[in-house]
Amino acid sequence: MKARSDESLDTPMTQMMDIVFLLIIFFVVTASVDKDVVDESINLAQAKSAPAVETVDPRAVTINLTKKGEVNIALRPMSMQALYNFLVNMRTQSGNSMPVLIRCDAKTRYKEIGNVMDTAAKAGLYRVRLVAMLDQ
Amino acid sequence: MKRKKAENLSVQMSSMIDIVFLLLIYFIVTAREEITEAHLSVNLPAPGAAKATENKPKMLEIEVHQGQYRLNGAPLETDVIESMLMGLGRTDPSMTVMVKVAFDAYASELVTALDLCDKAGLTNLNVVSLR
Repeated sequence: MKARSDESLDTPMTQMMDIVFLLIIFFVVTASVDKDVVDESINLAQAKSAPAVETVDPRAVTINLTKKGEVNIALRPMSMQALYNFLVNMRTQSGNSMPVLIRCDAKTRYKEIGNVMDTAAKAGLYRVRLVAMLDQ
Repeated sequence: MKRKKAENLSVQMSSMIDIVFLLLIYFIVTAREEITEAHLSVNLPAPGAAKATENKPKMLEIEVHQGQYRLNGAPLETDVIESMLMGLGRTDPSMTVMVKVAFDAYASELVTALDLCDKAGLTNLNVVSLR
């Protein structure tokens, strides 16, 4: 009896480490999954002197705009009408001050960006930001 | 001799996991995501209200054409524009800046123009299309 009580006192370290290790891996993996889905095919334009972004409004909607002028949100392709409906929907949920981020390729023509901006303005959203890459 | 060799062969799991664990924590703590993005904020004119804002005094007009910038109508190099904007930004940072962009201009050119305004401290930036 005495021997047994001694035995249970020293913690089985290996198993505990195994479990802690697995838990850490689990949390690290799940933490990075819920980030914004970005279109990696977009090469952002370079900005030399703009300040780096520290905090992003959690309500912000990110619109990806490819070189050819195709619009997608979180890799879901959208037509201008669908984008308009989506933005109106988001505006009713989060209000007028909701920022719209436009991630456009450096080689996108302004014609396409203007279209997206007009759509945002039509939907009543005037806080638009262009996303650029910091030149370091 | 033989016995010692056999002892070395069995890997000591608990100490190895200890070390792996510590290394992992060290890397998680020291890894900080590098901020590589900048957001250039612009104001959009309300649809149909574009005409009302034209020809107001104290307004700066930057035209962005493909491969060319114009400041109040005069075609200028970016470094000239930059120095002029810096001067204007010091005197009146809240000055209205209209950035008029041609349809065939690239996004990178618009970003450069906005970036120059940002550097000069000008905050009231409006983007409209050039007709």
